[in-house]
Amino acid sequence: MVEQAATRVLTCIQCGKCTGSCPESGRTPFNVRMLVRKKQFQTAVDEALPWYCTSCGACTIRCPRDVKPSEVIIELRSKLVEDGDIPVALQKALENTFVQKNPWGRSRNKRADWLEKLDFEVPHVSETESKRLLFVCCIQAYDPRCMVIPVNVARLFKAGGLEFGVLGEEEACCGNEIRRIGEAGLFEELEEENKAAFEEYGVKEIVALSPHCMNALKKEYGDTGIKVVHYTELLAPLVEEGAIRLPGSFGKKVIYHDPCFLGKQNGVFDEPRSILSAVPGLTLLEFSRSREVSLCCEGGGGRMFFEVEATYQRNAEVRVLDAVDRGAEVIATACPFCVMTLEDPATEKGLAVKELSEILTEVL
Amino acid sequence: MNILVFTKRVAATQEEELRITGEGQAVDLSKVPFKVNDWDNYSVEEAVRIVDKAGGSVTAISIGDAESDEVLRRAIAMGAKDGFLVETGEALHDPFTRGELIRGFIDKEKVPFDIILTGVQSEDDQFGAVGGVLAGLMGLPYASMVIGIDAVETDHVVIRRELEGGLQEKVKVATPCVLSIQSGINEPRYVSIMGIRKASKVERKVFKADGYEKGSPKIELVKWVYPEKKGGATMLDGELADVCGQLLGILKEKGVYQ
Amino acid sequence: MSYTLIVAEVRRGVFEERNLDSLGLGALLGAQSVLLVPDGAYQVPDKLVDVVLKVKAAEEAYLNPMNMGKILEAVFAARGKPDHVLFTQSSSGTESAAYAAGLFGMPVVTDVSGYDRDAGVFLKSYYSDKVFGQFKAAGAPAVLTVRSGSFREFAAEKAAAAAAEAIEGAAAVEARTFVEYVEEEKTDIDITKAEFLLSVGRGIGNQDEVAGYEELAGALKAVLSGSRPVIDKMWLPKARQVGTSGKTVKPKVYLAMGISGAFQHIAGMKDSDCIIAVNKDPGAPIFQYAHYGIIGDIHKVRDKLKELAKG
Repeated sequence: MVEQAATRVLTCIQCGKCTGSCPESGRTPFNVRMLVRKKQFQTAVDEALPWYCTSCGACTIRCPRDVKPSEVIIELRSKLVEDGDIPVALQKALENTFVQKNPWGRSRNKRADWLEKLDFEVPHVSETESKRLLFVCCIQAYDPRCMVIPVNVARLFKAGGLEFGVLGEEEACCGNEIRRIGEAGLFEELEEENKAAFEEYGVKEIVALSPHCMNALKKEYGDTGIKVVHYTELLAPLVEEGAIRLPGSFGKKVIYHDPCFLGKQNGVFDEPRSILSAVPGLTLLEFSRSREVSLCCEGGGGRMFFEVEATYQRNAEVRVLDAVDRGAEVIATACPFCVMTLEDPATEKGLAVKELSEILTEVL
Repeated sequence: MNILVFTKRVAATQEEELRITGEGQAVDLSKVPFKVNDWDNYSVEEAVRIVDKAGGSVTAISIGDAESDEVLRRAIAMGAKDGFLVETGEALHDPFTRGELIRGFIDKEKVPFDIILTGVQSEDDQFGAVGGVLAGLMGLPYASMVIGIDAVETDHVVIRRELEGGLQEKVKVATPCVLSIQSGINEPRYVSIMGIRKASKVERKVFKADGYEKGSPKIELVKWVYPEKKGGATMLDGELADVCGQLLGILKEKGVYQ
Repeated sequence: MSYTLIVAEVRRGVFEERNLDSLGLGALLGAQSVLLVPDGAYQVPDKLVDVVLKVKAAEEAYLNPMNMGKILEAVFAARGKPDHVLFTQSSSGTESAAYAAGLFGMPVVTDVSGYDRDAGVFLKSYYSDKVFGQFKAAGAPAVLTVRSGSFREFAAEKAAAAAAEAIEGAAAVEARTFVEYVEEEKTDIDITKAEFLLSVGRGIGNQDEVAGYEELAGALKAVLSGSRPVIDKMWLPKARQVGTSGKTVKPKVYLAMGISGAFQHIAGMKDSDCIIAVNKDPGAPIFQYAHYGIIGDIHKVRDKLKELAKG
């Protein structure tokens, strides 16, 4: 489980490395070092401030004293959640998750609707040999834009001869964003519900589509004894070894955006790149800030569900401008939240945003 | 100031396609999750805000099955002092019967109150009538569509009612009274899971509905039916002027454009 | 003689149009129709009912459910009890209907939108119109509130003008008194309160086009709102944003122009009574949620609508 940050704030020496790496500090009223300071001295915090954090985790990685500033932010948020005093949009997301097990409040009965888009049957995980679970989660299950991700990945797995199953309507939100919004109780309920299903059906391996889900399942569900991977980790060797043949060609200049929860927080940098490099015709480009220092798209930490009051330029736009500078035609990424935040400004500039599985499916 | 506030656990059907079973005997809710009625959430919040200012205590009451305890815990987490469940075996469709049951309960258990709050309506049956029926039965002053409570005095309240087209009506109502609260009167606080767990430690009293006097239902639900099928968007085709003319026609029909 | 009592809704000197639906249901019920109105210079459609019954009461008193209780008592005493008492489904109509039901022990069905004469059942919405219940009243008089737009086509003209009757009002009740009307503050537009929203999205192309849509909104008397891309670019203020990160709206009509229907947007408007979408892309998801759709160039549709609305 995650260590309580409360005991750690006292070790902070206010060096400012957190603020230096923070995608919000400096351009918004948010200042992560200041908030850690206030937590140290137990002084009052402006209630609007903690909600700027995108939970990208850069501060926690860079902190020389292991203060875990991003966890301090979660604690500040928890207090506001306990007091019931949180932005309305976040309140809705939490209440929806409580009722329907997804932040958008879509019917749980429709959680497996994406399966109808496939021309083959996907078994329930309990009926598989491998007990390998494709963990779909909310945005991929419901959002028409992101629903293509599980559809594509299922096709790719089938092409690669990889057996897998799903939980369907029994799957609940992974809770990654819920915990970051500061609703620890709700996170626990989701965790318990999912773990009970994993146990009941003897799940041995979980393949997450979203890096956010992978993060929660891997690092925040305690010791389940279940191997958790992101789907790119599973696909990379299959593509490299030729187990999945890619006969088509994708003759575009593609720039890869590292999702925070896949890259800097979980160290998966090479697999997506190796997959893209294996695509015939594709020219892979890099952002000026990539890998460990990749700029956060601002889709995490609950920011997918509400917007801070801000007039500043969005990071997604900064990112797109950099992509244009580098001569990219397509921005590829491996996270649904990144797709959602990048797509608006990219379309504006005439660039396409593709989730990795979309490019692979096009050349399959 | 003692406030009784009614809170109901309802099916969250907004996202569901509902199925009628048999020959229209029932609506299948077996796979539908439940939640607190939205209007009651506003009512509980308003009740708590009134006692925060004027003193007194809030008692949350739910008429329903044992599962309705969930909305009582929620109300307690929001600031209600007590939670009473009047347990019924079956759903009561008739707002008159609900009103009678509530009157019977309040009378027999001698529940003290200055103000009774209900939501304007519940999300499931949308009758919007229980508060009014109750007030009529008990001979209490009544106001519905309450969108603001401006003053709470010892013998009266001054409230605002929401009318149509953005108009409001300021009304003085003597207490004790019944007020039906409109959604949007406040911004209800978030109730965390931890908060609900803490509230679970407060004992809720359970009363059996059969113990209270009520007559036979005055209305009978004969059958459930589906609405006439609309079936996707009707596409307006033709020349530009024609299409735009049709559009204006729809606006007129809907009463938003003359 | 059996009769239907139709309690007219009046407000600030105006006989509300939705009363026509009560008159329509009154005609379907078949009994003598008696329209109750307070004293005053209201435009009463006296060809559509058998009797116009004027009660000596000030409008504010008449709209007070407790006074209405006294008035009904007087009507019942003078004319006997009717078979049905009809109110409008409205803020004041439903308030008085429910209170009267409790006061006189009458059955009540609200939001009635259909009537099956043979079966003698009334149709009432459940779960936001997903299903309807057919209800039978177990006694008379039954109180009904009538959904606006449901029955007005059945209001039929009678051969002769209505007979005029009058009754004395009752002493005003003091337990509830009218203080004043409060107009909504117009300074800060609240899009959640608008009955008609014209909403624009990325499809409008660039900021210069916004003015044209403002003009259209003005011509149609609609309130202008937008989807996230439009707000992001600050073409419209944040208060006008529809969607999960903006406001959730339920207007009578939601006219979406150049909005493709991102999920976050749909969540904020899908419960609107009537959704009309204009988009050049036939595959735009918004058409799955719209009641009416137009596939075409939104600017051309905008300009033509402006022209027709002015003409």
